[in-house]
Amino acid sequence: MKSRNIVDKILPVSAILVYLFLWIPTVVLVIFSFSNNKFGIKWEGFTLEWYGDIITNVGIRNALRMSLTVAVITVVVATIIGTITAYGLYKYKFRGKKFLRTSILLPITVPYVVTGGALLVFFTRIVHIPLGYISIIIAHVTFSAPLATFVVLGRMGRIDWTLEEASADLGANVLTTWRKVTLPVLLPAIMASAALIFPWSFDDFTVTYFVTGIGTTTLPIYVFSQLRYGATSVINTIGTIFVVLPVLGILIMNFLQKKEAM
Amino acid sequence: MINRENAPCVELRGVVKSFPGVIAVDHVDLEVAQGKVFSLLGPSGCGKTTTLRLVAGLETLDEGDILIDGKVINDVPAYRRDCSTVFQTLALFPHMTVEGNIAYGLERRKVDKGEIKVRIGEMVELMGLGGMEKRHPSQLSGGQRQRVALARSLVLKPKILLLDEPLASLDRKLRKEMQVELKRIQREVGITFLYVTHDQKVALSISDIIAVMANGKLEQIGSARDIYETPRTKLIADFMGASNIFPGKVKNGTGKDVEIETESGLKIIALKGKDGSGKEITGVSVHPELIDILPKGADVKGGNRFEGKITEMIYQGDFIETKVVIGRTGELVTANLGSEFGQETQFSPGEEVVLHWSPASSNILLG
Repeated sequence: MKSRNIVDKILPVSAILVYLFLWIPTVVLVIFSFSNNKFGIKWEGFTLEWYGDIITNVGIRNALRMSLTVAVITVVVATIIGTITAYGLYKYKFRGKKFLRTSILLPITVPYVVTGGALLVFFTRIVHIPLGYISIIIAHVTFSAPLATFVVLGRMGRIDWTLEEASADLGANVLTTWRKVTLPVLLPAIMASAALIFPWSFDDFTVTYFVTGIGTTTLPIYVFSQLRYGATSVINTIGTIFVVLPVLGILIMNFLQKKEAM
Repeated sequence: MINRENAPCVELRGVVKSFPGVIAVDHVDLEVAQGKVFSLLGPSGCGKTTTLRLVAGLETLDEGDILIDGKVINDVPAYRRDCSTVFQTLALFPHMTVEGNIAYGLERRKVDKGEIKVRIGEMVELMGLGGMEKRHPSQLSGGQRQRVALARSLVLKPKILLLDEPLASLDRKLRKEMQVELKRIQREVGITFLYVTHDQKVALSISDIIAVMANGKLEQIGSARDIYETPRTKLIADFMGASNIFPGKVKNGTGKDVEIETESGLKIIALKGKDGSGKEITGVSVHPELIDILPKGADVKGGNRFEGKITEMIYQGDFIETKVVIGRTGELVTANLGSEFGQETQFSPGEEVVLHWSPASSNILLG
């Protein structure tokens, strides 16, 4: 009985401490993004100067554009590759199937640093692909396609595949079945993998850092390089935006869901 | 030259289909007459579903021919065959409405949009689905989904409707209702049905012809009454509920009767069969409901009379399943005792009784 009382008291306290530990840095970040201090480390009065900077700052705009472009292309290419791979793995028997199945795991299990290093060597020494948009996209797809494969493969196990047989039975050939039945049914999984891949690609630092070219760069890398120059206000503002936006998004979604349930 | 008008709707000739390690369909020949309900009945794994899928084109056969309306269709892919399947899982497209599902086959045939609307309307009325056209399958009850699956296939007016245990997932009451519905629809529309089931009750109630399958082979084909009252083999008898099976050989045959004796010395009288197959008689089967249970010492004239002791009585609601051990020879016989509402049953376990059934109730088993 006594031990239970102690646990009851400790649990909420430790929970609060954990939350504080996790959130204080972020809250500080948000607060100081409005501070009049160039380095964003002290409070020196309220200002929106730094937010204005983002809009005018060419460097940030280019980096943002690159991150978005890379993320969108990666999502499209990776989900296409992932869906087709999952379909083949689930439905067909072929030579090397086991090998493919396990090798798909590799990009996810190998540490980012190793992947990044290997890709760098591959691009510069072996295939001579210039570092830039192309190398980054290839690197991102290499990691994301297996992710998409797993998500879609997981969903495939829960689908009633007589749906495809019914479609054929009703007069649809393979392509029509794929278009009108298979893809729509797989859509939730494809969307789910897109929802996983987009933030990953947008946020990725390590792998991108290895294969990024000189000059053009993605947002995370831009922020990192800005840090080097001591301009921490950038981090604060970008960080704030990327914390507030998703939270707002989740709150809105929650609200909408509650509304639907009523 | 085949007379197309009288050609059977579906014909299987020497059809063989194997999977690694097992022959699923073993040289099956059968003919399904136009406009009739033909059932493939048998235990799980007997090959009935594979046979159905071969006709649908969802499996390719190894040997033999399948004909629809007199034409060989072995190499015609599933999406071009003039048959439609109702799947056990129903396989309704979850992302389409009821209308979308029913229209699917018509759209594939490039039927004009106006015509599609008319045909959907007819189907909705025939199936009693009024008001649900815009719903999605997840918003329908089991029975409603059943009817959408049927509608989706029937609207195409196929030459034959293939049904793979469509009532298996329904509860007892709904299944009975749907059986009646199916029969009614079949009569109204006149389409040939090829129905696969493991449930002998369903098969008996809806079929014109039943073909019993076991281990990939066709064991017996006949009307529902034939299969139930005169199952030809031990396997079929057991499957149809004629659970009293006495293996034995013919001892005597005088006049109309034939006497079969089991290894334990039990002598059973049956009527001489009309079966001219020349196959050896291997025993007798009797349905439990045909055996009377009488008090000890009861005097009955003729037929099969045996003395025994009740070992078990199992209440089944409309009857009491009673197990009796025959004194002299030890066989366990199952007989059904009518349950009497509000009264103590006449007999109780441990009591000595007399079993009796007429020679006509003894069914001869062959091969």
